[in-house]
Parts: sequence; C-alpha cells; structure tokens
Amino acid sequence: MDPGTQRSTDMEQTLVAEAKDAPRAADLAFERLYRSSRDDVYAYVASMLRDAAAAEEVTAAAFERAYRKRNRFDPDRGEPRAWLFGIARNAALDELRRRGRQAELTAEPADLETFGPTEGAEHSERRLAVSAALDRLQAGERELIALKFFAGLANAEIAQVLGTSESNAGTKLHRAMTKLREACDGDA
Amino acid sequence: METPRDDQLAADLRALRPTPHPEFAAELDHRAAAGFPRRSRLPRLSFGRLRGMPPRRLLLPAGGLAIVAIAAVTAVVTTTESGNPSESGNGSGSGSTLGFLNTFDSDSQPEQPPAYIPGATEEAAAAGESSSSSSVTGANTELRPFSRTERLSGPARHRAVERSAELVLGADPSDVADDSAAVFEAVHAHGGIVMRSSTREGEPGVAGARFELLIPSAKLSDALAALSAIDEVRSRHEATADITAPTVQTGELLQDSKARIDSLLAQLEAAETESEREAVEGELAAERRHRARLRTQLQHLERRADYSRVLVRIETGASEDSSGGGAWGVDDALGDAGRILAVAAAVAVVALAILGPIALIALLAWLSHRAWVRRERHRVLS
Repeated sequence: MDPGTQRSTDMEQTLVAEAKDAPRAADLAFERLYRSSRDDVYAYVASMLRDAAAAEEVTAAAFERAYRKRNRFDPDRGEPRAWLFGIARNAALDELRRRGRQAELTAEPADLETFGPTEGAEHSERRLAVSAALDRLQAGERELIALKFFAGLANAEIAQVLGTSESNAGTKLHRAMTKLREACDGDA
Repeated sequence: METPRDDQLAADLRALRPTPHPEFAAELDHRAAAGFPRRSRLPRLSFGRLRGMPPRRLLLPAGGLAIVAIAAVTAVVTTTESGNPSESGNGSGSGSTLGFLNTFDSDSQPEQPPAYIPGATEEAAAAGESSSSSSVTGANTELRPFSRTERLSGPARHRAVERSAELVLGADPSDVADDSAAVFEAVHAHGGIVMRSSTREGEPGVAGARFELLIPSAKLSDALAALSAIDEVRSRHEATADITAPTVQTGELLQDSKARIDSLLAQLEAAETESEREAVEGELAAERRHRARLRTQLQHLERRADYSRVLVRIETGASEDSSGGGAWGVDDALGDAGRILAVAAAVAVVALAILGPIALIALLAWLSHRAWVRRERHRVLS
C-alpha cells in the first residue's frame, strides 16, 4: 500500500471508554477523529521534532489536550482535523521552545535500508536526495510540506492550521514545492 | 538521476512520511480507549525542571506570584487593622468614650484637673482609652472584665486605668421586679454602690429598669458575671481610659504645693514685721486652698481608678436595635432586611476591592503570557 494514501483507519479496538450511558456525540466524533488522524498527527509532529521519542510524547499530549477540549470544538469555525492539527502544532512548537532549538521540519535522516528490500536502488537514492533537499528549505516551508504530504491535509485545512487564507496557503505551498524541486535539481 | 516530476516528488515525499512505532500506537489506542486519563504533572513541576528553565521564563510567573502575594498580605493586614479597631488594655489605644458615661450626672463625676483634663472625651483622646463591646441575643455570655492587676502589677504597676461598662438585659415584664432585686443583690455582694436606679412596670417595651452603679474595679469581673447571669444579655460594652497622666500630674502638683507651703511657713517664721507676716499668711492660705483642691482632685482620680462605672438596663419586648421598643412587625422586618442587604453590599464591596485588583493582575499576567507564548511559537519557525 502506498503510505502516502494510508490514513489511520486500521484501528481494531473501541477507542472511547465504555460508559453506562450511550456515548455522547462529542465522544463519537472525537473517536472518529482519532481513528482518522492518529498516524497523521504523529507524522506531522515527528517531522517537526525529528525525535521519535519526543514525537510520541507530543502526539499523546496533543490528543490528550484535544480530548479535554472536545466539547469546546465549534464545527462552524473549521474542520475537526484542522482543529486537531492546530493543537498538535502548538504542542510541537512548545516542545521545540522547551528544547531551545530551531525547528527541524524533516523526517529523520533517511536511510537506504528504511525503504525496504523491494525498493530499487534508484528510488532509494532519489528519496535520499529529496530528504536532503527538504532539509535545506526554510522551517515554514518544510512545515507546509509536512502538513500536505505527511499529514495529508487539504489546502483549506492547512490554511486553518496556520491561520491564513486558503489561497495564501496554496501559494506558499506551491512556492515551497518549487524550491524543493529546484533543490532536488541542484542535487542532481 | 532524473529531476523528479511533481507526481513523483509527491510520491517520494509520502514515502518519507514518519510512521509511529507499533508499541506506541497500541499504547495510545489503549489510552484513547480509557478516555485519556491524566498523567501526573508532578515531574513537570519538579524543582529540577524549574532550575533548568531560563530565567526570563521564570520572571513573569515569579513576578505575578510576588504581586499576588503582596496584594494578599496587604489585604489581610488591612482587614485585620480595620476589623479590630479597639483593643483592651491600658496603654496607647485611642477611641471614643462610651456614650453612657455622659448619662451620669455631672455632679457625680470626679472633678477633673483643669489644666490637663478638660473633659472626659478630651481626656480619653489625650490619654489612652480603649473599649470593647458585643451584642448578644438569647443567651447569657461569659464576660471578661478587666482585672485590677492591670493597674497594680507588672509593667502597668504605676498606671491608673478607669473602667466602665454597660450591660443591657432583656426580660419579660413580669420579671423586671425580680431582676431589679437581683441587681441590687449582686451590687451589694461585690461591695458596689447603686448611685441611681429607676424601675417601670407595664407592657412589653414600657416596663424596664435602669441602674447606675459603682463597682470596685477589683471585683468588676465577678460583678459583671453575676449581673449577666440575671437574665438574657442583649448587649455589653466595656471601655477603659488610661488616666495615669492626670493622676501623676496632680500628684506632682500636690507635692509642689506642699513644698510651697513649707517654704511659706519658713518665711512666716522669719517675718519680722506685721505687714510682712500678713502678706505671707495670705499667700499661705491661698496655697493651702490650692493644695486642698489638688488633694480632692487626686482622690477623685484614684476613685475613678478604684471604682468602675457600670450602667445596667433591663429592657422588655424586642431589642431596641430591631424594634425601637415595640413589637417586631413588618416595618421592623423591612428594616432588618435593609440592614442585612447593606451589610451584604458592604461585604461585597470589600471583597471586590480585594479580589478586583488581584483578578486584574491575573488577567494581565495571563494575557501577557499568552502573547509571549504566541510570539515564541512564531519565533521558533522564523
């Protein structure tokens, strides 16, 4: 399966605690949100922190915060995934502030072996080049690409996460992709 | 290597997507199923973590905490000072003379040294005076009168303190006579004097009694306890006035006068002419009159310290505070309600005065912290 199209849908257990009463709408909605966003949130946070352990901690904290605030979510103000990624973004930025280091918005350094035995050497080398090019982008550009391709958000959702307009988010994303492509050309 | 096209680039980016470790995913699923139970926040607040924080991050919370602490301490101190306007004692406190002191006849008041004690109120302002009071309904209270040892022992060995008290008892009209008799018995049992008394019989609110008493200060405690046991105590007021200064001053003037008289006697013995003798005798007579007045003043001052003035009133019907002497009715209820609302409003204003600034400081601190966090988050990515 192409990991890019994979959403966090392979949950097998009930995600909301059983209660005597029927779960409320907010609980059910949050359960659906969690099912669809777990891996995406982790991917986005891990790409910002470049630290698997910290990413796990921040991902858990983000879901915990979101769960506590689930009753305050207003559907009229945006998409649930955008709201969730806004919380995750703040949690990741807070972690970066605590650690006092600049944002590193790429995945951990790619290794040829991580692409699996079925991957061809040409694909592996190309992805290493993409990873290296990604490292050379500005932090904000790397975050845009992470939101788009790691978290799988639509441009409208990205705009909500960043607090900007959809057209502005699309323009910035296009510029980031152009720079990434040029960086890859430079490597080539 | 070929330049990746857009779709190829997107596919490569997705291939770089980090994936969670299965164990973490399972643990997170478990926590989600449990409703994300709170984890202990103690490690986050540990001293080691605080020590690791940069000083500028600690500045705002520490400053806010200090301001809140100062405001709280100030509020507590202010409340304590305003809530305790009178203290029992014989020292430097100042206050107003109890009103009932003025109800005694002027001829029963000891003569005041004119140079230093023009009046009781002024004396109270010049000398130390303190008072304590309480209002009680429905039960006898254990009174704590002042002890004579305050005058005669310890640091207050040479101090003269005048004490006074007012006691209001509530009684049924049919009990006024018996209560009055009990007052006489209590006064006599403690060596006191009934200076004036009056008793009225009649309907509730009309019937009552009034006693102006002098009680030896040494027995004031026991006397007030005995008087309070007669019937229901509605209110009690006690006051003290430090009359040490006028007493000492009068004593010194008396000594000076005695020395002056001795000197005049010596002059009289040495006088050689009749006119000289007459002049000295005239001065001697005037000085002796002056000395007699001073002695009387000193005796009155000592008597004021030795005897405490006590006013006892026996009332029938509702308390004057709530009914003005008549039966408790709708008007009284409205009056009580108004007073309760006024007190509640006053308490609310005081609470607002204390909590308002604290809440404002907390709000400003929260807004500042929020703005600072937003700026720092933006700075991380810039």
